[in-house]
Amino acid sequence: MTTAPQTVGGVGRVAGTASYPVVSVHDLSISYAAGRREVPVVRGVSFTVEPGRALGLVGESGSGKSTVARTLLAHLRRGSRIVGGSVTVDGQDVFALDDAATRALRGGTAALVAQNAGQALTPSMRVGQQLREALESHGLPGGHDRVLELVRHVRLPDPETIVRRYPHQLSGGQQQRIAIAMAVAARPRLLVLDEPTTALDVVTQSAVLALIRDLAVELGMAIVLVSHDMGVVSTMADEIAVMRDGEIVEHRPTAELFADPRHPYTRELLASIPRASGAAAAGAGADDEPRSVRRTAMKLGSWIGTRFEERGRHAEEPRGGGSHLAPAAPPVVAARDLVVRYGRSLPAAVDGVSFDIGRRETLAVVGESGSGKSTLATALAGLIPAESGSFAFHGSDGVESDLTQPVARRTLALRRSVQLVFQNADTSLNPRRTVGAAIARPLKLFTGSATSERVAELLVEVGLTPDFAARLPAQLSGGQRQRVGIARALAAGPDLIIADEITTALDVRVQAGVLDLLTTLRDDKGLSCLFISHDLAVVRGVADRVAVMTGGRIVEIGSTEDVFRGPNHPYTRTLLEATLDPGTTELPSVGDARPRWRDAGGWDDHGDGHRVARWESM
Amino acid sequence: MSPRTSTGPGSSTGTRTGTGTGTGAGTEEARAASSAQPAAPSTVGTRLRSTATGLTGSLRASSALGLGLGLIALHVVLAVLAPWIAGHDPVATDSTAALTGASWSHWLGTDQYGRDILSRTLNGGRYALLVTFLATTIAVGIGTVLGCVTAYADNWFDEVVMRVVDALLSVPSILALLVVVTVFDSGLWVIVLAVTVVYAPAVTRVVRGAARTVITQDYVTAARARGEKPLSIVFREILPNVTDVVLVEYAMRASWIVLLISTLSFLGFGANPPTPDWGLMVQENRTALTVVPLGTLAPVAALATLVIGLNLSADGLSKSLGIDRAQKGAVS
Repeated sequence: MTTAPQTVGGVGRVAGTASYPVVSVHDLSISYAAGRREVPVVRGVSFTVEPGRALGLVGESGSGKSTVARTLLAHLRRGSRIVGGSVTVDGQDVFALDDAATRALRGGTAALVAQNAGQALTPSMRVGQQLREALESHGLPGGHDRVLELVRHVRLPDPETIVRRYPHQLSGGQQQRIAIAMAVAARPRLLVLDEPTTALDVVTQSAVLALIRDLAVELGMAIVLVSHDMGVVSTMADEIAVMRDGEIVEHRPTAELFADPRHPYTRELLASIPRASGAAAAGAGADDEPRSVRRTAMKLGSWIGTRFEERGRHAEEPRGGGSHLAPAAPPVVAARDLVVRYGRSLPAAVDGVSFDIGRRETLAVVGESGSGKSTLATALAGLIPAESGSFAFHGSDGVESDLTQPVARRTLALRRSVQLVFQNADTSLNPRRTVGAAIARPLKLFTGSATSERVAELLVEVGLTPDFAARLPAQLSGGQRQRVGIARALAAGPDLIIADEITTALDVRVQAGVLDLLTTLRDDKGLSCLFISHDLAVVRGVADRVAVMTGGRIVEIGSTEDVFRGPNHPYTRTLLEATLDPGTTELPSVGDARPRWRDAGGWDDHGDGHRVARWESM
Repeated sequence: MSPRTSTGPGSSTGTRTGTGTGTGAGTEEARAASSAQPAAPSTVGTRLRSTATGLTGSLRASSALGLGLGLIALHVVLAVLAPWIAGHDPVATDSTAALTGASWSHWLGTDQYGRDILSRTLNGGRYALLVTFLATTIAVGIGTVLGCVTAYADNWFDEVVMRVVDALLSVPSILALLVVVTVFDSGLWVIVLAVTVVYAPAVTRVVRGAARTVITQDYVTAARARGEKPLSIVFREILPNVTDVVLVEYAMRASWIVLLISTLSFLGFGANPPTPDWGLMVQENRTALTVVPLGTLAPVAALATLVIGLNLSADGLSKSLGIDRAQKGAVS
């Protein structure tokens, strides 16, 4: 486990000579008791991390990476036990410590930042109070000044106000910053990050990662970063250990691993990652070039953008349209100045949006959380009525329907034509009903009959076997559940599928499988698709056209190539820059993620249906 | 109506606990998806076996549940068999053998009228158990349906029902029962209905709370997007997912209702003398507590074991049903 000193990027490069490692895990094996059997979850894992360096543990869910990371805090899941090996943190064998020493280790020597900061913070306590607790529990002075200093440390604006807030009054990114502040309060030697940014959108993710990196350098902490996101790991870690079934299959410096993955599993893992840059970057090693190409393109784009802005003032304002299809085929969905509002006094969640979805076309809507993209999907599904604007549907049978109507007033034909696939496969299937029953219900409702043969056919179509019909959702993996969700949508025989963040909760390899399935089915059955995502990399591989939303408005819409090529709206550019591609070892700088533009009204048409909302800098 | 019976190649009948045939659970997506035949179609035999192992598994995991269900079963069996296994007629008086201690002919002695205490104790549960079973079932049934419907409706109907529930909950239960029993007589169905009115509102409130969390799940959204009828959503999507709460409610309410019925009898508003009934027996024999303590203690012990049994099962059920099903599926 000797590390190459000349790795690029990452947290490394802390002043100081080679010191003894903070973390040293030696031949660690853990097994879990399931009934009378012992199931090994970790087998013979060894690694060391030196101060100021970062190790990334990657792997799919169930690979044991979280289990290993938690042992660094002397924590084992109920029912598991150490079979062999040792874990040493800062010179102490963590499993030989007594209770008092374990408490001192946790938070004092080693600190954890968990995936979901919203759950890590106590909802009934002001964050200032929680920070003070974190300080005082390790015998440090917890004065008001000290707390403010911590808040300033994690670069939160206006510390005086922030410390008086409750966790629910903060955004996800702010919550994660507070969680980081608590973790570094006692200046630990080791920071364990368990999927620290999975729940955050790309822009916030970049900002939080930059903060962690700077703090690590400043405090000379060792970092163990657990993630399934190769992009995050490659920008943060000096070395990467790839885990599979409880074993480390490959452990190398980051740049080397991406340039030349040796283990077949690593290669497979790298190949299945969708990339925002470079459409067909299937093989590893080719990813440096597209990235730099994109960078150049972006610089060009921004330059052209300003030029176009001037020209755009004279350009004729395009109205609607935007579809690159022949006018003979009416779009499946046509929205004009659509406004959707949750309550009369609330601001509109979708504010004057116009777009078309052509037949056999996939329109992707991207944007960060709160941009109104999911509201758009909800309105399309009829679960919330549109306030104003027109929203029309052209079925393949030539029937025209009004999509502003709520689902209760829609015809059976329209309900059949528009089907939803949900983000969270865990909650989209009724846990008490078998897979067969879940698929049979829409079959019965929309086609009048539900035979077990038809259910079996649908299951085979989505890549499962007919015997899955008898299983309960709890017996399926995440990817299998999502496939059942797709089968349920297909059962109705729809024209349009609404896919709302369908791959967010899945591992990369599983995600690739589900996306493949969706595109294949869409092409085979001639479906249109509204694809909602915050992940530009996923969008690039799936969508024909992309609409970028922020604050309830579309700021850019155009064919996928045009949007990725530019010229872009500044917001799109922020999103593109914040997307972490695996293999890049530097973090993009996104500043404080505050918008530097404001709406100027009107559109710039860059041809071929690529339109960008006019903006001016501020 | 139910597609459960018509789906799946191997007749799928609902409840299967995570063990046994769940071979694909937790395995990698790609592996299971690509393998040609992950598991042979499950036969009825394996399905039964898996259900059985699931049940014994949860019994083994929770000794409280086993003990509780055992106590309840014992009481039910004794109550059903009481007319045959009791050595004496529970209402036959014998003035020559009044207030005797334990003897070979009267194992637990006799009361002031010379009636065999053991026989009266064995028979004394029949009335309480019958009323408890009927009242709990009706109260929990009504409360569950009302709770799910109001949770889903979330409109003026919800408001009206919940305000009525508030009003009913503000009346002390024993007082309400006494009023009802005084106005009408203390017939079986009067008491059953009175207990229902007293307890159904509380069940409604609890189930409504549980159902509201289910309603936010995506499968309910999916059903709404399909345009399913509200009642169909309530019965297909919501009800099955609050059964754990309902079962625990059932066991808990039952223990309270047993006590309530016995209290009524003790106060002289429930079972009429000379009917053998635990509450009534305590009331009749407490004056002779120093002479024949078993006359009071036997019905008290019987009542206590039944209530403890119900409480233990409520506790055990909530533990074994509260386990995250997703986790269960992944582990076993």
